[in-house]
Amino acid sequence: MSVDEVPVHSGGAPALEVRRLTVSYETRPVLWDVDASFPTGALSAIVGPNGAGKSTLLRAALGLIPADAGQALVQGRPARSALDRVAFVPQRDAVDWDFPITVREVVEMGRYPVRGWLRRLTGEDRAIVDEALERVGMGPFARRQIGRLSGGQRQRVFIARALARQAPVMLLDEPFAGIDARTEATLLDLLRELRAEGRSIVVVHHDLGTVRASFDWALVLNVRAVACGPVGEVIVPQTLRRAYGTDAVNDGAQDGELRWVR
Amino acid sequence: MGPLIDALPFSYTVSVIALGAAVLGLTAGVLGTLAVLRQRTLVGDALAHATLPGVCVAFIATGAKDASTLLVGAGAFGLIGALLVVGLERSGRTRPDAAIGVMLSSFFALGIVLLTYIGSLNQSGQAGLESYLFGQAAGLVERDVTIMAALGLGALAVVAALFRPLKSTLFDADHAAAGGLPIRALEVVMTALLVVAIVIGVRTVGAILMVAMLVVPAAAARQLTGRLAGVLVLAGLIGATVGVTGALLSAQSGLPTGPVIVLVGFLVVLACLLLAPGRGILWRARKLARDRRRLLVEGVLIDLETALHGGPPPTQHELALASGRPRRALRRALGDLERTGALARDGERIYLSESGAASVHAVLERRDLWSAWLEHGWRLELPDAREPDPRDLRASLGDEHADRLRALAAEARA
Amino acid sequence: MSSDLIILLTAGLTATACGLLGPFLVLRRNALMSDAVAHAVLPGIVVAYLIFQTRAPLPIVAGAAVFGIICVLGIDALRGTGLVKWDAAIALVFPALFALGVIGISTYASGVHLDLDSTIYGEIAFAPFLSLDVLGAELPRTVVLGFAAVAANLAFVALLWRKLKTTSFDPQYAQAVDVSPARMSRLLLVAVAITAVISFESVGAILVVTLLIVPAAAAHLLTDRLTAMIAITVAIGWASAIGGLSFASAADASIAGMMGVVAAGCFVLALLAGPRYGLAARAIRRRRAGRRARVALGAAREAGAPS
Ligand SMILES: Nc1ncnc2c1ncn2[C@@H]1O[C@H](COP(=O)(O)OP(=O)(O)O)[C@@H](O)[C@H]1O
Ligand SMILES: [Mg+2]
Repeated sequence: MSVDEVPVHSGGAPALEVRRLTVSYETRPVLWDVDASFPTGALSAIVGPNGAGKSTLLRAALGLIPADAGQALVQGRPARSALDRVAFVPQRDAVDWDFPITVREVVEMGRYPVRGWLRRLTGEDRAIVDEALERVGMGPFARRQIGRLSGGQRQRVFIARALARQAPVMLLDEPFAGIDARTEATLLDLLRELRAEGRSIVVVHHDLGTVRASFDWALVLNVRAVACGPVGEVIVPQTLRRAYGTDAVNDGAQDGELRWVR
Repeated sequence: MGPLIDALPFSYTVSVIALGAAVLGLTAGVLGTLAVLRQRTLVGDALAHATLPGVCVAFIATGAKDASTLLVGAGAFGLIGALLVVGLERSGRTRPDAAIGVMLSSFFALGIVLLTYIGSLNQSGQAGLESYLFGQAAGLVERDVTIMAALGLGALAVVAALFRPLKSTLFDADHAAAGGLPIRALEVVMTALLVVAIVIGVRTVGAILMVAMLVVPAAAARQLTGRLAGVLVLAGLIGATVGVTGALLSAQSGLPTGPVIVLVGFLVVLACLLLAPGRGILWRARKLARDRRRLLVEGVLIDLETALHGGPPPTQHELALASGRPRRALRRALGDLERTGALARDGERIYLSESGAASVHAVLERRDLWSAWLEHGWRLELPDAREPDPRDLRASLGDEHADRLRALAAEARA
Repeated sequence: MSSDLIILLTAGLTATACGLLGPFLVLRRNALMSDAVAHAVLPGIVVAYLIFQTRAPLPIVAGAAVFGIICVLGIDALRGTGLVKWDAAIALVFPALFALGVIGISTYASGVHLDLDSTIYGEIAFAPFLSLDVLGAELPRTVVLGFAAVAANLAFVALLWRKLKTTSFDPQYAQAVDVSPARMSRLLLVAVAITAVISFESVGAILVVTLLIVPAAAAHLLTDRLTAMIAITVAIGWASAIGGLSFASAADASIAGMMGVVAAGCFVLALLAGPRYGLAARAIRRRRAGRRARVALGAAREAGAPS
């Protein structure tokens, strides 16, 4: 995809923007003075090696962990007061799969912040939940306990929960980690559809091949922002070398060519 | 409480004890579930131990021995203990398990010092306080039960009112926070509720064993249902049942109440862990054994078909040699096949009946379908997130898609 | 020996025996397992009393070891089913065993020469009145047993030093070089069970846990080195023994309980004032790091700003 195809809506505020963001755990900085912005209506990726601070960036942007300095804006407004415009799919390593909850209940959680945490869900909410389940193909599994699903199916459920949120901005942290190729392809298609509907999507992803093939925009991150811009300009050997070191670049490229992407 | 007590088919004292135990079991069951699902059960243990010095301090401060005054002290120390555990865990160096262990044993040591100090002041005063160690249902009076019930109802009302936020926080705190929930505050609420459950129960069950009352109902209920609302309700019911059974048994036998309740509860959990449908250890073992048996029987069926294909009907001995299966397994499988009418015999020699031939056909088709899936599955468009189940591909994909898969495979062969 | 000396030696030796194991428990995140095991030995003591009708140490140690193992294996098995989490498994198994012990004591009180009070408070005040016949010599029972426990734990730690160290620091590496961390944990917990039952007579079933965990957790805040950690743990144990004895007689309260309180006091001191991991030191360090980061950020911005 060439640069001018990027659907950047000129004039409007970016979907997500971080300015001068610095975050430390204890005394060690894991994000240092990061500037980045992700355009509205684009499918954007955050790439970088393990421990680069990708998850930390999303979590700090949403105010889940305190930042030492800097700010995050969602559609031009401080992120903390614009949480209703963001749907977040966290990394899944902390989820307790034995938790007594069904697929449908998980997706309904996406409606709680919209409807109000203490209110009953309405018929409209239920319709939205049904539609979200259908879109990810989980309709027939709605009554299953979450632990009785495969890895790919679980990820579909979390994406359905984000869909049910009906937010214009979606942030996904490693949604394709550890899932099968068929699900990855399906979900990638779904993300493209969502972009076509005008939503802005930011995905933490580590497969450079897919990013180059299917994404519009990318942030290359390793504690500092190495580069941020249209993929064609950003996913290039110079920046990747600065983020990953030399060897990773070739691996990433080959891996990308060989990957099965429909 | 009056009418309720009259309605029970026991003497007044026993009715009071039963009601008290029911209230404590119900609240400990529901509120304990919130701790068990966060994997914070042992924090409950620490808080229960922390109530002991609280009771002593309340006694020293007021000189009163009635349960309600002492419960205020217990509650205050429970909350302090909770804050300290969290603070210690967040302080960085001390790991969660050590933090819990340090709080638990420090508070308990303090409690013992205060208990013995009180004992040295006044011989008669101590006797009442000692029941907070191992629990005593016998001393409950109607007023205590009324207060326990009021506290418990209040706590349960909080859970009902905050059900959705609590569920979201318990399941996925990050997502809940990103949706704007004050998860720190909700965690504080859950810990405070845990303290309420402990305060209600500690006199009857005792500080040392109170943790069992928090975990038993949740652990048992989780085996029986996969929905949070169901677990909460069932845990309440199981807790109440265990509490009443244990308290009555203890009142009858004169044994300390806490240990009796705990043993009753342990038996209930054990039964659920073994027998729960779909999950229990024995249930799973039986299912596994059945699956294995099916695999074995199908294998033998194919062996037999192969042997028949290559020559005259084999004897059991020849079949064992040809298939290389252990004799016992073979005998068992042939027995199963015989019973379903898949075999026919000609003296020693075995061959397939008509229905046996049909089963072989079905097994072979299943195998073909599976290799077709491995080879051509990626070309199959599936309408939803269904996934192949190697045991029964046709059922997991649906007939339409299984047929389509066969067509794809046939196309490729042609 | 004067009775004060006997009590002090008993207390100090108990604390030392616990202090030799405590650091490993804390480092391996086994603190709560040791709590569970210390509770679980109670039915072992009762059963040994009932079967052998004697207070001789060996049968009781054996009974305690058996129930300690039952406890550990029971918890492991319960976790292994995947039906409950680790914390729930612990909280299910040890109360059941402890309850069994308490009911045994209540039912057979006269048969087991034991009452619930001594389960909780220990009998250290009576230590001077108990004696043990060793090769014809009448020696104070608790002191002899205390020495035996210290010697046994010292031997245990010395013999398994490398394995304990490796499995505590890097369980996966240990597994790769064929030292099973799970087996080491179990051995350690059996040692805890035996220590618990020997200490049981002097400090009771539950305060053993205080001596196992609290001094070691305090030492963990004070040093990064294992040998130093053990030395500090044992030192805190003796401080607790001495402090506990003097405060207890002043306040006319339980000696064992007061030892626990003094140990807790040492922990609080270490937490507040520890040189590296103490709260004060951390706060200062964090403030300095924040200031440095602000300066560096400012410099970076000036350098990066378009001139
Ligand atoms: N809660 C935490 N406490 C301390 N350090 C953390 C925490 N979470 C992450 N880190 C550290 O911060 C760095 C960045 O983590 P993360 O944002 O998860 O990286 P990524 O998602 O890019 O793999 C890593 O080195 C990680 O070890
Ligand atoms: Mg990450």
